[in-house]
Amino acid sequence: MKQMTLEQAARLVANDQIVTIGGTLSQRIPAAMVRELARQGVKGLHLIKPSPGFDADVLAAGGCLASVRAGMTTLEQPFGMAPSFRRAAERGELEVIENACPAVMASLQAAAFGLPFQAVAGFEGSDVPGVAPFATVKDPFSGKDTLVVPAVRPDWAILHVHEADVRGNARIYGTPVWDRLMSRAAKRVILTAEKILDTSHFVAQPEMTVVPELFVEAVVHAPAGAWPTAVFDCYDIDGPAMRHYLELSRTPDGFRKYLDETEAHDRRPMEVAA
Amino acid sequence: MSASYSPADIMAVAMARLIRDGEVVFVGVNSPLPLAAATLARRHNAPNCTFISVGGGINPTVDKIMAATSTADLGRGSASIFDNQEIYGLNGRGGFDLTFLGMAQVDAKGRVNSSFVGERDKPKVRFPGGGGGPAILPMSKRAVLWRAGHSPKIFVEEVRFTTSAGNVDRIVTPLCIFRKEDGRLVLESIHPGVTRAELAEKTGFRIPNLESAPVTPEPTAAELSIIREIDPDNVRRVEFGLQ
Repeated sequence: MKQMTLEQAARLVANDQIVTIGGTLSQRIPAAMVRELARQGVKGLHLIKPSPGFDADVLAAGGCLASVRAGMTTLEQPFGMAPSFRRAAERGELEVIENACPAVMASLQAAAFGLPFQAVAGFEGSDVPGVAPFATVKDPFSGKDTLVVPAVRPDWAILHVHEADVRGNARIYGTPVWDRLMSRAAKRVILTAEKILDTSHFVAQPEMTVVPELFVEAVVHAPAGAWPTAVFDCYDIDGPAMRHYLELSRTPDGFRKYLDETEAHDRRPMEVAA
Repeated sequence: MSASYSPADIMAVAMARLIRDGEVVFVGVNSPLPLAAATLARRHNAPNCTFISVGGGINPTVDKIMAATSTADLGRGSASIFDNQEIYGLNGRGGFDLTFLGMAQVDAKGRVNSSFVGERDKPKVRFPGGGGGPAILPMSKRAVLWRAGHSPKIFVEEVRFTTSAGNVDRIVTPLCIFRKEDGRLVLESIHPGVTRAELAEKTGFRIPNLESAPVTPEPTAAELSIIREIDPDNVRRVEFGLQ
């Protein structure tokens, strides 16, 4: 049985594991799951994601992160940079592995295809490869120097989707951003879903299924599970709720209050599937 | 006759004018002004450009611009969804003619720092990171940088860390437009109403042609009318911290 509560699913994630998290910046972040990880006090996580935002900020505020390997970390306009992430980075409380979105993507692609490393395009004149896990190898075919990044295989991909069935098939509407790749790169997938639908819905149009059940360990019914970030065609960014979070997350006590305030929204009794 | 316009207006219009008809143009995250520019260009001076949004759309319908340009709403009206792997695949193949890239700092040689100031493991200031910049700036045929601020802390003589470098074509600011010439930034034009003394004072490197560069042509009534139509709520001002 893959369907479980948010609390049960969050307990699958152990200290010091590598996680990748779906969505981007303040879009379709599995926010309820991220808050639950902070509530449960998970420590030492290594986040690998091309473009983290609200997720990295909440996990940084909760002291859950050991490192972030990302191209760019921001809540985006109109909220600006992720302040708890920034504060933790400036205090040296978490390691920022300087990177670029397509290089993080390439590390996940290598993992997804079972390869040790992958070549990346560009980077001429950039200091990033000199301070991050990049290497230059000779292309055996052309003899040219080629920049490569290592495979990184996350223990978990945590994704928030529009629709899932209890077996773990999932649909995303609008851009899947990096979620399809993440589901292949990680060892296992934890899904939170706006809606739980019958498998027949997915069988009717299998080409719409972004994540197949094969990869999925847990399915959580989480309506508004990305709030206060946006889900395409469901809800937009909740500006006042985002500002409220930013206000509270300035201090550890405030952040604890935020986790308490949002607990009833996030933790829901599991409904028995029809 | 010149209509009244804001720094955001002249920046959006200046960026739109840099888009040539028929080009493949990429607009990424955190980019309300480039989104306004690409939307204006498609309706005005470059109707046949291909606009690719990080929100997943190829020529999406943009009725109104938004602050969060990573929104999947920028896939609406598109006949296909182009996810982020597709975007960086196209970049790797050299498929972008023009890319708009934000930045934290830029130096006299057009090198961008969007990473940090101070020590890397405990920085004085942590910036968001370069996003796709390190891969895009050398690959895109042209890149236009912009920043809704202009100070000696942003425009520095030399960045201490180069996040991205490459095919910088123009840099658009609230005060002026720079272009790269023989590996150094020179003044393309100064915006109307900005004094050359103010520009020199707010720029952390010497501008070689400060006195001789022309004034940026004012936005036309037609351009301003389209900008107001696609952004009646003045979302474009958000980059100036005004929302």
